Amino acid sequence: MNVMENIKMAISSLRAHKMRSLLTMLGIIIGVGSVIAVVAIGQGGEAVLKSQFAGEANTLSLFYMPTEEELQANDSRIYEDPFTQEDIELLMTIPEVKKVVASSTTSTNVRFREDQTDSAVVGMNHAYMDVYPLDIKEGRNLIAAEYLSGARVGIMTTNVVEELTGETEAPFVGEIVYVNGQPIEVVGVAEEETGLFSFGAKTIYVPMKTWQTIFAKKTITELSIQTETVDDLQIAGEKATALLNEKYKKEDAYQTLNMEEIAEGIGQVTRIMTIIISSIAGVSLLVGGIGVMNIMLVSVTERTREIGLRMSIGATRGQILFQFLVEAMTLTLIGGLIGIALGTGLSFVVSHFAGWPPLISLPVIIGGVLFSMLIGVVFGMLPANKAASLHPIDALRYE
Amino acid sequence: MIRLTDITKSYPVAGEALIVLDRINLHVEKGEFIAIMGPSGSGKSTLMNIIGCLDQPTSGTYELNGELISEYDDKQLAKIRNQSIGFVFQQFHLLPRMTALENVELPLIYAGVKKAERMRRAKEALAKVGLSDRMEHLPNELSGGQKQRVAIARAIVNEPDIILADEPTGALDSKTGKQIMELFTLLNEEGTTVIVVTHEAEVASYAKRTIFVRDGKVTSAERVVDQELLEKIVEKETFDS
Ligand SMILES: Nc1ncnc2c1ncn2[C@@H]1O[C@H](COP(=O)(O)OP(=O)(O)OP(=O)(O)O)[C@@H](O)[C@H]1O
Ligand SMILES: [Mg+2]
Repeated sequence: MNVMENIKMAISSLRAHKMRSLLTMLGIIIGVGSVIAVVAIGQGGEAVLKSQFAGEANTLSLFYMPTEEELQANDSRIYEDPFTQEDIELLMTIPEVKKVVASSTTSTNVRFREDQTDSAVVGMNHAYMDVYPLDIKEGRNLIAAEYLSGARVGIMTTNVVEELTGETEAPFVGEIVYVNGQPIEVVGVAEEETGLFSFGAKTIYVPMKTWQTIFAKKTITELSIQTETVDDLQIAGEKATALLNEKYKKEDAYQTLNMEEIAEGIGQVTRIMTIIISSIAGVSLLVGGIGVMNIMLVSVTERTREIGLRMSIGATRGQILFQFLVEAMTLTLIGGLIGIALGTGLSFVVSHFAGWPPLISLPVIIGGVLFSMLIGVVFGMLPANKAASLHPIDALRYE
Repeated sequence: MIRLTDITKSYPVAGEALIVLDRINLHVEKGEFIAIMGPSGSGKSTLMNIIGCLDQPTSGTYELNGELISEYDDKQLAKIRNQSIGFVFQQFHLLPRMTALENVELPLIYAGVKKAERMRRAKEALAKVGLSDRMEHLPNELSGGQKQRVAIARAIVNEPDIILADEPTGALDSKTGKQIMELFTLLNEEGTTVIVVTHEAEVASYAKRTIFVRDGKVTSAERVVDQELLEKIVEKETFDS
């Protein structure tokens, strides 16, 4: 007696009582549906959190945490600009690392003819430009050769131009400005950054080498690594800090943001919500399971004579048991599938309002399918066993 | 081929043992056509159910084709019911949501026969009972006689050694009953052992031998061919106590 026969039989007997079957499934539908929705919404939220830490570009910043002595020694050189060009090359040896983004930032005086202002001066490497592209309004981007040679060229944000000329729309490409007293040719004007932390900041971008020449420093203020995927980020970060700490013989001075820890903190709220909804789902599954058991017991009683007949033509107790188990499982499986469909729909709706994409993952769906089948087996066992232990004659004669 | 030795069946009723079958001895040869008669409540059905492995005796031994059935476990009994015995009931016992064909296929499903082979054999069995044109009908779309013929097709589809029919004509009019009995005669002529429980002398007259059960005992097991004589005996056996 194969499984397909049993499934066909189960479906036909469930179809004979469509309304009853549907009502019985309700608990399973709600239970599985809410679990799917909660997980999908939760995972979607988590992914959003992760990507916010990593930036859209999958980057992770490295930083230097000075020791007590270093802080007391007040030798700011060690920790203000803790990285060097060699560090970049070292980090590039990590397989997961795709790019190393380097930048140094100082605030200084900028002069154009008679006007002057203060502006941030960012020295950056080529990777920086790839990862955080500037929105060029006028002129052009820096080119590879300029990074290599440390050419005296730069890009300004519009607000710097405005400060220096008093006009918003003045053409400025080709002009020479003096940054920290040194001449820089403006090759491009970029839209000012609108990011959360850099909103409205006046910035001049120059090649890293140029920056180092202007300020007579060999060091780099900020390093971050970029990986192919977000998932590699944490491991690449760990490798990077390990390499740097080893190179400089430090305990734990080079660090990265531990995304997991931060995500954990923020995820606390989500988790509490998940627990609440999951327990509602759990109760609903339990009630659903008991409903299935109840309806299966009714079904066994109603079909006592059928069971007797099946036994009289050669069904073993095992086959009868299996038949009713499959029937209970089919019932909960169909309920589970409907639940998965509804849960998916619900998570799309909720996520739409929450503003992040729901993450429907295959393991969750497979889990939902298997779990609803498991409920069928667990709660179908008692009725199926009742059917299988009927005495053929008593069953046949049942009125 | 069937040998019952000192078969006793009793039920515990109100603290006492109600003896339904009392040390019955019965021997049935292969290919026999037997009618079992007797007053209501005498234990005919009980006897049939024991022969059909649906019920087990309280004591005594049952041998079928040389095998000691009374020692068999549930699973072995299920196999005997599936392979060696075909049951026909007074109330047909067709599954209402299955077509005639599917009903006939059922024993083959439990026998583990593959779909194509099952269809072929079920169609063959239905053809044999003259229902080739009703295969796709549901039971409630069939007449009583047709239902019983489907039930007979289901009983013979696994080619059993024995057909057991407990009042197969009890729910049918006499003309339809006759057709059913002619079908049993045909099957018997092909070599199947047929045992029919009945109240009607006319039905019993199709059998080559009639057995009377009374107060839990087999009181007569002689060969009766003469219809009139049979009717007299039936009258005597049934109402004379
Ligand atoms: N489960 C049971 N518990 C107690 N007594 C039973 C049980 N099954 C059958 N009996 C008794 O056994 C006796 C024989 O029953 P059985 O059905 O074999 O009679 P029968 O000869 O087939 O009668 P009928 O011709 O009316 O069908 C009856 O008196 C019945 O009450
Ligand atoms: Mg009876």
